Amino acid sequence: MDELRNHVKEMLANGTVAAVIGYKEAGSPMRTKPVIITAPEEAILLVFNEYCLNNLAVYLTKARVKNLARVNGTIKKLGIVAKPCDVHAVIALIQESQLKREDVYIISFNCNGVVKDYGETLTGETIASKCLHCDARQPLYHDKVFGELKDLPASPDEELAKIKSFDDMTSQERFEYFKNEFDKCIKCYACRAACPMCYCTQCITDKTIPRWVESSAHGRGNFSWNLIRAFHLSARCVGCGECERACPMDIPLSLINRKMLEVAKNDFAYLSGRNLETPTLVGSFDVKDKEEFIL
Amino acid sequence: MEEKIINRENLNKLCRDIIDGGNILIAPGKTEYTVIKDTSEIILDAGSKPTKASYKNYAFPKAEPVIYYKKDKNDIELIDIDIKGKKTVILGAKPCDSNSFDILSKVFNWDYKDDFFNMRVKNFIVIGMMCEFADKYCFCTSVGLSPVSEKGSDIFLIPLDENNFAVRIITDKGKEFMESYGKYLTEGNPEKAKAKTEAGKSSAKMPEKVFNSEEVRKWLGKNFEHPFWDGIGDVCLSCAQCAFVCPVCHCFDIVDEDYSYEEGRRMKNWDGCQFGHFTLHASGHNPRDIQGKRYRQRINHKFKYYVDKFGEILCTGCGRCSRGCPVSIDIKEIVSDTVKN
Repeated sequence: MDELRNHVKEMLANGTVAAVIGYKEAGSPMRTKPVIITAPEEAILLVFNEYCLNNLAVYLTKARVKNLARVNGTIKKLGIVAKPCDVHAVIALIQESQLKREDVYIISFNCNGVVKDYGETLTGETIASKCLHCDARQPLYHDKVFGELKDLPASPDEELAKIKSFDDMTSQERFEYFKNEFDKCIKCYACRAACPMCYCTQCITDKTIPRWVESSAHGRGNFSWNLIRAFHLSARCVGCGECERACPMDIPLSLINRKMLEVAKNDFAYLSGRNLETPTLVGSFDVKDKEEFIL
Repeated sequence: MEEKIINRENLNKLCRDIIDGGNILIAPGKTEYTVIKDTSEIILDAGSKPTKASYKNYAFPKAEPVIYYKKDKNDIELIDIDIKGKKTVILGAKPCDSNSFDILSKVFNWDYKDDFFNMRVKNFIVIGMMCEFADKYCFCTSVGLSPVSEKGSDIFLIPLDENNFAVRIITDKGKEFMESYGKYLTEGNPEKAKAKTEAGKSSAKMPEKVFNSEEVRKWLGKNFEHPFWDGIGDVCLSCAQCAFVCPVCHCFDIVDEDYSYEEGRRMKNWDGCQFGHFTLHASGHNPRDIQGKRYRQRINHKFKYYVDKFGEILCTGCGRCSRGCPVSIDIKEIVSDTVKN
């Protein structure tokens, strides 16, 4: 922790970064919250542990955060404390031209997993599902990295079993399953707010002239919202699981996103946010692309 | 006030009767208060954490039609909605939930009388239960409630031991309701229940009082413009989790939904003041353009405006908004901090 604090302090003091987005304790050592610091003496607030659940990349596209990087007419770097899985989101934002690699200073950790929910001790039962199938416990890109890798607590990947079970369902059964789940949606848009890839300044669901998506949180309105979000995230989602964590109604959004990740991976050998040199899947074309889904 | 005893077995039978009588029975589930179809689904535990969502949707649904319309070239026909209130029983409401409809009734009956809300509330029976849960997000004692508060309950349960509950009949509505279920009750010993609630008040499960709401109200009145608000909520992501899980947040939006060119309906949908576009004017001007202003509105509405207008704090201290906030913003902390500035 001291290493992190000292490094951030130095980077802020010598002007390498204009601000750092990191984690601080939130009322208890077993919960953290995002903090954006600009003064070297604030670096003492920073922490990094298994309770750092937020994907802080969500702040990189916010106007008020971008403004912090504008110092005396020049654009300085924004520092971000990012778990290796959150680094995928930073990379995906760069791939989508929302950010330049040189404008962000990535401080990452060799990651030993995070908990599902605050206040729990990290064990096989409490480890977040996304950590069970993590393919990058070391950051793919970073400007500074801390921490040593330890073994993850072992646990069965129940989420995967659930996704596999979809393949055995008829499309009608799958439809019914998600219809029931989406019925719970209250349209608080916490999923959208927590998502680093949902950076549109005006979301299609907020457009009223004309209104494309019904704003009512009834079955039809919920289905259109959640499906449109799924479409917009296909092959763009980096699988950080923030939408599901933010959802107050416990809708298993990760099932959809993880399934989409698998399709992109299996059919197009593409994973979002893994390679700075690769164009995005939806933003590029290859004659070898599969097209059997076109009727 | 009458006091009786009911054991779990009889309580289950009572619930069975409620359901068989064609009424709706609602009890706390994992995420939200859910409609109970079979009594085996009921988990009645005073020590349980408040559900993630409150039960306000049973009187103020997240989306509800208020009128249907049909139109042709010459005319528009309006078709009223026939609101049929069905007897609905909430079993095991936490004291931080049971008071919510009384608070909401003030705003829904202030100038315009909201028939949709009123009809549902009229048909409600609230069976509250003493609460034996407290975490660092609970602050009912700071807003004039407590884990043993009977406010808003028609009937109040006090768990005496594993198997028995003291039953306090609080309102005439509650008395009338229990008349047909007298067979399930036995005579109680008011002293025993009183001892239990007294013990509850002094136990560690009593949330600590962290602010004086009257001091907060006065501070808010004097400090609309204060540097305190500048950094508040700068990490807020502007979702409406806090407003939508809140038992007393009640903002709504009216939108028309056309099914076709000829017909449609007008909907009343939940809305939230932390959304950036909540106050966006047609001109493009937004009076609450930054998160600090939006958060200031949230706190002022709850702890000043509503108190000034209706004499009630628009908060029950349930802590849901803080517990579920994706970026861990704690309302209790912020309200306590106001007066320190």
